[in-house]
Amino acid sequence: MPPNNGGFMVAAYVAAAVIYLSYAAWLYWRSRSR
Amino acid sequence: MTAISSAERSLRRSGLWMAIALVLMAGVYVRALAFTPEEATQGLAQKIFYVHAPSAWVAFLAFGIVGVTSALYLFLRDPRLDLFAASAAEVGTVFTTAVLVTGPIWGKEIWGAWWTWDARLTLTLFLWFIYLAYLVLRTAVEEPGRRARYSAVLGILGALLVPFIHVSVYLFRTLHPMPVVLRPGRPLLPGSMLITLASSFTVFTLFFVALLARRYAWARLVDARAQGEAERADASK
Repeated sequence: MPPNNGGFMVAAYVAAAVIYLSYAAWLYWRSRSR
Repeated sequence: MTAISSAERSLRRSGLWMAIALVLMAGVYVRALAFTPEEATQGLAQKIFYVHAPSAWVAFLAFGIVGVTSALYLFLRDPRLDLFAASAAEVGTVFTTAVLVTGPIWGKEIWGAWWTWDARLTLTLFLWFIYLAYLVLRTAVEEPGRRARYSAVLGILGALLVPFIHVSVYLFRTLHPMPVVLRPGRPLLPGSMLITLASSFTVFTLFFVALLARRYAWARLVDARAQGEAERADASK
């Protein structure tokens, strides 16, 4: 039986998504041509 | 076409690429989380590998680009090379941040510790420090030529760490797992996991290219506007 550790998986995927989406959003809005 | 309108066009195009890359990233998440088998000994925590390893690959690619473009800048003194290196360094630092956050979450479950001063982990942390210093240096030096020269030297020195980090698991006694794909001989992953990993590597690379294109177009736009203002100020004297 594999260990029941889905919480760690979810934490890592959410953390990566937060980092990438925050940067992409910051870059997109900051660089929008005015 | 003026430098400003060319940069503005690149900005618009890069927005589309960013959107496409984000949709594909969502696809990778779905594939990894819902359609990839669970590993027998590590359980679901093993799936962290599908975001951690491609992030590391992209970070190394980004810093490799910084090293090459910085070296070229020192020979050719073309300011576009400096802007490109700075853009790659910023995006690479973001990917390294993701590596340094996802790795310890996996480590806590599998090793029982968030962090260990293992050679690969420590060198990756130092790589992150070097490129943070690189980004701070760029904001601290105002004269463009001097800023580009100093940044190029630091960018090259940071990039020299990348091959050491890649072979660190062979050179030193480390806890970090050995490569399972980028290794001599056949990959050690079964087919379905290999497909997930390969698509993850491809999509993360595409996401990096889209972010880099956006960051570089923005840097060019800022640079072109500053030059335009300087020329107008000269003309009005």
